[in-house]
Amino acid sequence: MINKKMAAVSIAALMAVSLVGCGGSNNAAPKEEVKEPVKEEVATPTSTPTEPEATKLTGDFEIQYFVGGYGDKWWKKVIAEFQAANPDLKVKESGGPKINDQMKPRWIGGTPPDFVYIDGAGLNDRQMVEDDQLEDLTDWLKDAKNIDGDLIKDILAQPAQEFDGKVYNIPLVLNSWGMFWNKALFKEKGWAEPTDFDSFLAVSEKIKADGVTPFIHTGKYPYYINGSVLYPAIVSANNDDFSILQDMAANKVEAFESPAVLTALNKIVALRDKGFIDKASIQINHTDSQMLFLQNKDAFIPNGLWLPNEMSKDVPAGFEFGFIPSVTQSAGGKVVANTSTATVAIAKKAKNKDAAKAFLQFIFSKGQASQWAELSGAPSNIKGDISASNAPSHVKDAAKYLTDPNTVVIPTITYNADVDKAMMDATDALTISTITPEEWVKRVTDVVKKVSK
Amino acid sequence: MNSGTAKWQRNVFIASFIIPTLIFFGIFTIYPVVQGLYYSFFDWSGMSEHKTFVGFDNFKDMFHDPIVWRAIGNDYFLVAGKIVGIMVLATFFAVALTRFGFKLSGFFRSIFFIPNVISVVVIGVLWNFIYNPQIGFLNAFLSLFTEDKVTITWLGFPAHTIWMLLPPSIWAGIGFYMILLIAAIQGIPESYYEAANIEGAGEWHQFWSITLPLIWEQMKVSIINIMMTTLNGSFVIVWIMTEGGPDNSTQVMGSYLYQMAFRQFHFGYGAAIGFVILVLSLITTIVLQRLMRHESVEMS
Repeated sequence: MINKKMAAVSIAALMAVSLVGCGGSNNAAPKEEVKEPVKEEVATPTSTPTEPEATKLTGDFEIQYFVGGYGDKWWKKVIAEFQAANPDLKVKESGGPKINDQMKPRWIGGTPPDFVYIDGAGLNDRQMVEDDQLEDLTDWLKDAKNIDGDLIKDILAQPAQEFDGKVYNIPLVLNSWGMFWNKALFKEKGWAEPTDFDSFLAVSEKIKADGVTPFIHTGKYPYYINGSVLYPAIVSANNDDFSILQDMAANKVEAFESPAVLTALNKIVALRDKGFIDKASIQINHTDSQMLFLQNKDAFIPNGLWLPNEMSKDVPAGFEFGFIPSVTQSAGGKVVANTSTATVAIAKKAKNKDAAKAFLQFIFSKGQASQWAELSGAPSNIKGDISASNAPSHVKDAAKYLTDPNTVVIPTITYNADVDKAMMDATDALTISTITPEEWVKRVTDVVKKVSK
Repeated sequence: MNSGTAKWQRNVFIASFIIPTLIFFGIFTIYPVVQGLYYSFFDWSGMSEHKTFVGFDNFKDMFHDPIVWRAIGNDYFLVAGKIVGIMVLATFFAVALTRFGFKLSGFFRSIFFIPNVISVVVIGVLWNFIYNPQIGFLNAFLSLFTEDKVTITWLGFPAHTIWMLLPPSIWAGIGFYMILLIAAIQGIPESYYEAANIEGAGEWHQFWSITLPLIWEQMKVSIINIMMTTLNGSFVIVWIMTEGGPDNSTQVMGSYLYQMAFRQFHFGYGAAIGFVILVLSLITTIVLQRLMRHESVEMS
């Protein structure tokens, strides 16, 4: 009996620790191979950014890049080109869909790669800045020129995000959230394409009367509805001034308590109370919601511009994507595009910062912009006409929207992870009527106060 | 002298079995527990080189975190629901497939065991499809009996969504415990039942007076095992089906641990949750052992 009890207790212990164990094993940083010290042959390579090819880069140079929706074709190509341009440099690629987890012990252990592409689960730029892991690029970016001799900050379509006034990472991709519909279906049914919130409500009424659910989103991942509906709505209600979102990201309580936030939340409430939101939304993931949208069971879906690419295998014949970055502006108001980006940065503890900076100068060039659009299927964050390139047509359309002077473009903003989660949960609760907009604000500001303590 | 050598050899022999296991147990169980406990005293993002020692602050925060309490409640709800559901159904099927000896019992035994061979991830995806409000099987089935199309969001209720995770968990668990109980029932000598028949005891009476007391030992093990696997393993089914949502209503300790440690960059807090899971599992095991300290009936 006692033996059995002991056995049962120890089995319980064994199973209970399995979760703790998972976490713990992450921390057992494998011993890094001792790298050869970088030979500092060049004294001040960054002081002459106009002609980086004049300086000779040597030593090891490691690039960490996540492989997700944008693929790795561009990375492989640009790294090969950079290697060819710098034959004395030993470039090491650390890429893959799981690379963020694989490299984690290196970051914890203080031997990170030199250059990092911040995308995918497990990497969060705000967190990396707080953890003091990224190199401060503020001064460098002021006068850094790319390989063509252009000032990098001048050719960026969207500026880098500032953390307490400092720049640590530069956006490489420029994508946009927004609202999609099927143009073909709209034409067939005689529905008008929305241009603002009133027309959106009007056509939704008609769609509902015709027996189709007007709006579906992915409740399992509420950042889709937040990114495509809530944030643009807040900016519209704030006289097209997106600094309110930046204040929210900086955990300023008064930004969340602004009337603009309530106005925006009430727009979601309007959709809910008119019965426009598909009831299935709350429990389904993005793929399921996108499938229902492609089957014309729902007329509108908030999503990102990668949607046509992501679902390319499942798009039925005759389906034609319609897109507008926002539907929450009042009639005659400006369209608000909430961008979705992925950024690049240099590790603070990089061993070869010269090579990393030279690589930045290499990739932020117009030639690489069209190459990125072509190989990744997403618009690049570098200004430049890609209409002549082989980029897919929806990428060109997106680029057109994002460069239009009548569009308010929200630059990349990363919220604190706790606040972000609180906003997602609260929006979900709002769509199923468990809370009011005021409770949304109360809940989120409580988290903000706790976080900024 | 001779006996000393024999004793030495005996000890070496025993040690050669114990020591490798002990080493592995130490590396893969004791060490992670100690590490986990160590990290639970720090404020650490899980990625930073620097950790800040915060003493018991993570545990104090947990005490004031309503989601932790909800997660613990959900955990014990699943434990209770699964123990009742699995034990009743597994016992029923085990008795039905052994005592009533009908022809297809082998076939049904295999059918009931299938969910145990399927990965929990597949089970989660499968049941997600069953519960899908638009194209799911459950609503389609219910729609057969109603005029309007049924559009219940099975995994999206404002409250009590955790109830919907019980059927897949029970369904997935029955097979294994059924096999365990079948083995126990088959170990009961047929003569007991023959004697009971002669005495005029009905099936029901036989079940209560013969079968149940003689398989109680196995049922006890099953109950404890269900409790432990649920407290530590319900993470998978929750994460696959709801990720703890909507609005944290289906969060369990395991899923909240993952959410905090890897999504919200509070690794120390996650480690603290992990430690609480360990403590709760130990306490519950001891309590359940005490509660079920029913005199076992031994067959002679």
